[in-house]
Amino acid sequence: MSWQVFVLIPIALIAFVNGQLFLKRGMESSAVKGFRDKKVLTFLACGISSMTINFLITLGLLAHLDLSFVYPFQGLSVIIISLAAAVILREKLNLRLTLGALLISAGIVLVSLS
Amino acid sequence: MTEKTRSGFANPWLVLVLEVICVLVYELLQKRGASETAHLSQVWSWTGITALASPLTWLAMGLMIVSLLSWLYVLRYIPLSIAFPLSRVVDILVPLSCWMILGENISTRRWCGIALVVIGLILTAKPAAQLKEKL
Repeated sequence: MSWQVFVLIPIALIAFVNGQLFLKRGMESSAVKGFRDKKVLTFLACGISSMTINFLITLGLLAHLDLSFVYPFQGLSVIIISLAAAVILREKLNLRLTLGALLISAGIVLVSLS
Repeated sequence: MTEKTRSGFANPWLVLVLEVICVLVYELLQKRGASETAHLSQVWSWTGITALASPLTWLAMGLMIVSLLSWLYVLRYIPLSIAFPLSRVVDILVPLSCWMILGENISTRRWCGIALVVIGLILTAKPAAQLKEKL
């Protein structure tokens, strides 16, 4: 295992979370402003770019590592996205939802480990 | 969120179910498409190019586009902190269908993981049901 792994796995995760947040923002505003709006298009473009970066880095990681090593990190995205949605998008997050996201994350990590 | 309820195919919860089914089916199709064409070339099969020879792979790509569009529609109406955890139900549906359809084994550790995800989904589904009334 080399240093690239420690750099690329967090970058892939951040790009994924970032992409989902941008897409959410863009689609949410599109419900009010429609798709011709400049802000909506910018959000969607940023979202798609982020997801593309995640896609390419993930492919790069898979070229060198086992899927059972790479996939558990994707599982972590569930709890990170829930927290990020609460902090950045101001979504209401109660104990129940947090616990649910935490268990789903832990479950996906376990499922993909073997 | 508008005052009128979105019924039928415009219901975001139904679209979320559609998204999950699309992802599940395209992952299985990808697996079938890639395996059944792997014999075409020892070297090129690693790049995924040989998989393009299978119609199943193209069907998978079509479903991928449908799943992306339905996910965007879901994001328009459902909070990310509810929609995203629920959409990951696909991570347990894939091993479960591999077990049922393809006859693959599920280890004890994996069963434990599946159980955790199910409990997490139940916890997330309750706030989702309350939100449903408001949509």
